[in-house]
Amino acid sequence: MAGGVKTTGLLRRSGISAGLPLLLLVLLFFLPSIGLSANLMRLFFATFVWIIASVAWNIVGGFAGQVSFGFAVFYGLGAYAAALLINAGRNPGVAFLGAAGAAILASFLVGIPTFRLRGPYFAIATIGVTEAVRVIMSNLSFTGGASGYRINEYGPFSQSEHYRSALLMMALAVAISALISKSRFGLALRAIKQDEDAAAHLGVNPYSFKLWAHAIAAALAGIAGALYARYHLYIDPSGGPGGVFAFSTGISILLMPVIGGIGTVWGPVLGGAVFGIVEEELVVHFPEIHLLLYGLLLILIILLEPDGLMGILHKLFKLFRRRRDDSGGAGADKVLWGRGRLEGRQL
Amino acid sequence: MQGLTKYFGGVAALKGVSFEVPEKQICGFIGPNGAGKTTLFSVIAGAVRPSAGKVRLRGKDVTGSHPAALVKMGLARTHQIVRPFRAMTVLENVRLGVHFGCAGIAATHAAQEQAMEVLRQVGLEQKAHLLAAGLSLGEQKRLEVARALATGADLLLLDEVCGGLNSTETRAILDLVQSIRARGSTIMYVEHDMKAVMSICDRVTVLDFGQKLAEGKPEEIQKNDAVIKAYLGKPTLGSAPSVQ
Repeated sequence: MAGGVKTTGLLRRSGISAGLPLLLLVLLFFLPSIGLSANLMRLFFATFVWIIASVAWNIVGGFAGQVSFGFAVFYGLGAYAAALLINAGRNPGVAFLGAAGAAILASFLVGIPTFRLRGPYFAIATIGVTEAVRVIMSNLSFTGGASGYRINEYGPFSQSEHYRSALLMMALAVAISALISKSRFGLALRAIKQDEDAAAHLGVNPYSFKLWAHAIAAALAGIAGALYARYHLYIDPSGGPGGVFAFSTGISILLMPVIGGIGTVWGPVLGGAVFGIVEEELVVHFPEIHLLLYGLLLILIILLEPDGLMGILHKLFKLFRRRRDDSGGAGADKVLWGRGRLEGRQL
Repeated sequence: MQGLTKYFGGVAALKGVSFEVPEKQICGFIGPNGAGKTTLFSVIAGAVRPSAGKVRLRGKDVTGSHPAALVKMGLARTHQIVRPFRAMTVLENVRLGVHFGCAGIAATHAAQEQAMEVLRQVGLEQKAHLLAAGLSLGEQKRLEVARALATGADLLLLDEVCGGLNSTETRAILDLVQSIRARGSTIMYVEHDMKAVMSICDRVTVLDFGQKLAEGKPEEIQKNDAVIKAYLGKPTLGSAPSVQ
C-alpha cells in the first residue's frame, strides 16, 4: 500500500502487523493472574504510564513536528483533576474522563496563543507556560499548594487493577496514534511538519490542525497523570523528581519519543518502555545525577541515530534482509527507510 | 469566475494594480524581475495581506482570507521555488490536495485513485511511490502543478512552472496548462519565457515597478511601445522578441 505508514512497514514486512501487539496486550493483561511480583507490577505500571505520555507527545511533537517542553502541564493537570474527582467520591472512569477534559481545556488555553509562534519560539513559549502553571499550582490553597495533595479513594487497593487500567489506557493511546498516522489527519500533520505554508496552499489550515493534534495529545497526557495520581495517592507540584508539574517531567516526556524514534507509531512505545525501566533503576541508583545521564543519552541519540531505536531496528532489519536476499530488491526499500530519517532530521 | 479586481495603494511591491480575469482564460503576467508578479500571486492566494485594495472571487470579497479557505473556494497556487513535502511520496503529496481541496474526499482509497489520475495527467505516474525529494527539478515543477490540480480548484495561479526547464519539458507543461483550461479552469500564469507566454495566453498583463504597464492580447502587447522599452527590448534585425 502506497499511502502506508512507515512504522508499520517494518512489522508488516516481517509478517506481523496488528497481530503481535494484540498478542502482547493479551499476555500482559493476564500476567498478574499468572503471577507477577508486586515490585515488577509497579515497574510495569510506571512504564505503561510513561508510554502513554510518550505516545501522546509524539502526536503533536512527532507527527506535526511541534516540539513542546510543556507536557508536564497536561500531565499535572490530569493528575490534579483526577485527584479532586476521586476525593469527591467519583469512580475512576469519571476521574480519567475529567483528567482528559481538564487537559484538553488547558491545551486550547496554551495552544491558541503559542501556535501562532513557529519552531524554536513555540518550544520556548511552552517552557514559560510550564513554569507559570507550576508556580500557580504551588500557591493554590484548595489543592494544598506546594505541600501537595492527598488522595483518598474508597475501597480496597488492588495493584493489578491499577496495572490493568494503565495497560488498557496504553493500548488506547497506541491505537489512537496508529489511527492518526494512517488517516488523512495524520498526512496533514506530516505536511505541516515539513512546510506549513505549502500545506496551507493545499487547503490544510495548520493552526487548527495543530490545535486538534495538541488537544488529543493533551488528553492522553492528562490520563497518564491521572493514572499516576490514583496509584501514588499523593501528588505535589514541586520542581523536583516526583512532582507532577516538574520541568523534568516535561523533559522526560519529550525524551522518550526521541529515544524510540520521533514521528513513528512504535518508536515512542519502545522509547517509553526503555525509559520507564531505565528511569526507575536510574533514580534508585543515581538519584543525584539521573538527569545528567538523560542529557547524555539524548545527545548520543541525536548525534548517532536521529531516528532513535526504530532507526537502529530498521538498519538491523535491512542488514538481515540483505544477507538473506543477497542484495536483491533492496532498491524500493531504501526509499521507505529514507523517509523516517528525513523527517527525524527536521526536529 | 465572474471577475477579480485588485487595488493597491502605498505598497512598494504593488501600487494600485487592478485587473479582471475572465473565466476559462489563460491570463499571462509578465514583467522584469521585481515587478511584483509573485507578490501579486501571494496576495491573491492569501499568503500576504494587501495594505489596500480588494480581491474578489466570483464577485465575493475574499481579501485577506486564509490560504486554506481560498483553496476550498477553488483557488490554488504553485510556488515559483518548488516546495514539495520532500519526506513524502509523490502520491502522498498529491493526495493531500485531494483530501483537503474543494472536493474534500475523505476516503483514502478514493483519494488515492483521484491522486493517481492527476499524476497521470502530469506524467508522473511512474514516480508515484518515490519520495518527492528524489525528483528532478522538472518533475518537482510538475508535482507543484499536480498538487494544485488535485485540490480541484477552478482558478489556478501558476508561478513560473517552466522556469529552469529545457524546451521539451517546457512544451509538456504548456500542453498540460492548455488541457487544464480546456476542461473549464481559469489560469493565471506568470512566466519569463516570452515564447511560452505568447503561445498559450489569451490575455497578457505587463507589470513594472509594481504598476500595470499594459494589458491586452499577446499580439498587442508585443507591439506596445512602453512594454518594449521596459521589458521586451527592441527587436534586432526583425528577430522575434525573446527575453529571458
